[in-house]
Amino acid sequence: MTPESVHRSAPPVTGAQGRRTPLVLAGLGVIVLLAGVALLVRGSSGDGASTSGEAASTAHARGGSGHGGSGGGSGQGTPQAEEPPSRFEATTCWKDIERFNEAVTIGNFRDWAAPLLASRDPNVRDYLRERLTELIGNDAAKATEVLGWSRDAGPREFNVIMMALRNSEAVHQPQVAAKLLEHGMDLTLDGQRRAGILSALDTQKKLEPGMLGTLADFAKDPVSGEAGWAAARTIGRVMKRDFNEKGNLAPYMDKLLTIGTESPDEQIRYLALSMPMHTTPVMDEATYERYAKVLTTEGSPEGREAAAHNLSVSAGDDRAKTLALFAQAFAVEPDVCARWALFRFAARVSGKEALPTMANMAITDPRFQPLYQTFEAIYASGTLDFVRVWNSLPEQDPFTCLDRHE
Amino acid sequence: MIRTPSLPLRALGLAALLHLVPTVASAQAASSEPAPALRAEACSVEGLMDSIRRGLGSKSAAYRKYLRTLLRESAVTLPEAELRAAYERETDPVMAEHLAAALVARTERGADPAAMGVVAKRILDERDPALRVASLRALRRTSATENTGDLYERLARDASPEVRQEAATNLIEDNQFVYSGHHGPAADAAVTSAAASPDPKVTARILDSVSTEHISAESGERLKSLLRSDDASVRAAAANALGGVPAEQMAGSREALLAMYRDEPDAGVRKMLLQSIAQLGFAGAIPDLQRLRGVDPSLAPEVDAWIRALGLGLQEWSLILREKQRLQQAP
Repeated sequence: MTPESVHRSAPPVTGAQGRRTPLVLAGLGVIVLLAGVALLVRGSSGDGASTSGEAASTAHARGGSGHGGSGGGSGQGTPQAEEPPSRFEATTCWKDIERFNEAVTIGNFRDWAAPLLASRDPNVRDYLRERLTELIGNDAAKATEVLGWSRDAGPREFNVIMMALRNSEAVHQPQVAAKLLEHGMDLTLDGQRRAGILSALDTQKKLEPGMLGTLADFAKDPVSGEAGWAAARTIGRVMKRDFNEKGNLAPYMDKLLTIGTESPDEQIRYLALSMPMHTTPVMDEATYERYAKVLTTEGSPEGREAAAHNLSVSAGDDRAKTLALFAQAFAVEPDVCARWALFRFAARVSGKEALPTMANMAITDPRFQPLYQTFEAIYASGTLDFVRVWNSLPEQDPFTCLDRHE
Repeated sequence: MIRTPSLPLRALGLAALLHLVPTVASAQAASSEPAPALRAEACSVEGLMDSIRRGLGSKSAAYRKYLRTLLRESAVTLPEAELRAAYERETDPVMAEHLAAALVARTERGADPAAMGVVAKRILDERDPALRVASLRALRRTSATENTGDLYERLARDASPEVRQEAATNLIEDNQFVYSGHHGPAADAAVTSAAASPDPKVTARILDSVSTEHISAESGERLKSLLRSDDASVRAAAANALGGVPAEQMAGSREALLAMYRDEPDAGVRKMLLQSIAQLGFAGAIPDLQRLRGVDPSLAPEVDAWIRALGLGLQEWSLILREKQRLQQAP
């Protein structure tokens, strides 16, 4: 699943977390994106990006992905043991892994880990990633050495390396972060590799102006491709982290809006416009006006949707203005998914007071008549919070917008 | 849920201690060792248990996590009887937790509906609170809230405060992470257990943490009863929980909260009453708040902050909270 597809659902993403907000977020599907820390980028897949927490995994059967390895069945049960259900694949246990664990070092990691990585065993791959993070620790020299491996590592090893670096303490040292940026900008590396390296910067606590500027300039560069996409995502993710620590969002917002309006790549523009959806930042007037402009000038319907989303969470005096803006935009909007965004986000702006505006939208486009009636009934029930309104909808994707790009 | 198992030496058997010796020795000789002879093989209960007992002494949290993950992931293909027997005879809390987690995983994956019940039964029968706690942890973030009958209600009354708190943690995390706060029966189980507990800390913690968005009318009445608790933290938590009830319970909750404001002696509870009144009414709560403003002059600034935040007309509770905080922080 790509972030685009998640964003298509992009409902009321809320950022300032109240007492119970996290409970709601999960239900909105947003958590899928927030929790996803795969280093791989758009259009690609990989088998090394699993970052699932161990606790959650018990509740879900592992899918059909093959584990390989030699473990083909229990084979070691007691004579009375039951035959295991055939739908579950056996896990792999590794002889001598205890000694691997105790004696592995940065110096021998690549050689020693090679047979484990070759096995396609997801459990041992998760372990290798975390063990390498431990080995790097807070040592900048070790982190730099490991980063050097990324130049010639195969896909699976590359993933382990970058995730390990990303989660290490050392990645927060300025010289390590600078090295990552330098490698990410290295034109001799292929785009996917550079994307992975730039993604490993997304655990930074904040981006200083120099690094932010470099990432942003690169992201809007016409030739940046998937590495540029990763750079934009890194800016958005660090912004969210910084926001949660009460940081100043203005520089990030400015850069994301610049990328979102200047990049010739539609997917990068959309990503940049949609990343603020996860922080619900308070906008100043200039930012509001820039998003308002995007609402009518952006070429991709997804970008226009993202703008509608961001405008819908602006506070205070702009509400009537935003509602009028949405009404005007709806009338000329050719895309039904973007219209659906304007329709539902009108409710997000003004609640039941938006119903007359929504009724007019439904007159303009009769496909929205049943939706209007649904919203009307929900508000009549006494529901106030838009998150609850959203969760009360019998169909959250009435125009099949969610899968449009899959 | 990443836990770093402590190493309760007291609880470890002699065999486990002996196993630690070569582990430490091998670490010291690390630099000169040849590459390990890594070879994939089938997993067994006995082999995994041995590895875990030895691995408990490892300094590597990654390795300890790997081993317990491996046992849990292997659970569906390991012989059930062997796994169950190992669990039932285990007396080391750390090992018991791992084995219980493996049994629970069998149920969660649909391999064995009864396995979770084995864990639940042991929790109820077990005399040692440390072992009850260990098995309870294995039920966390699973479907246990719905699939273990009245287990949590009973554990909320457990003689051990640690067990009561662990049970509360399970209820909270199940509601949050398994059901995303959207499953009425799980929320009802949490409210029922909270109400059943004689421990105010447990009651208040559950009610402060569980979404009441989909609770039943019966649970709503329980919460209203708890508004009369002698313990201020319970009254505050009940008020907090009533702020998030379903639409059809909002009017009744609002009345209950408004009715108790004047006579409530505790400032913290009053503050929570204001918040929940705001949550139940959004901008429509402003007249109520204006009426309450003079009751307690010390809370007038709080009332004013709510009135200002609600006056913005925002349509999401989280955004209202954000704005209230922002307004209060403004110079």
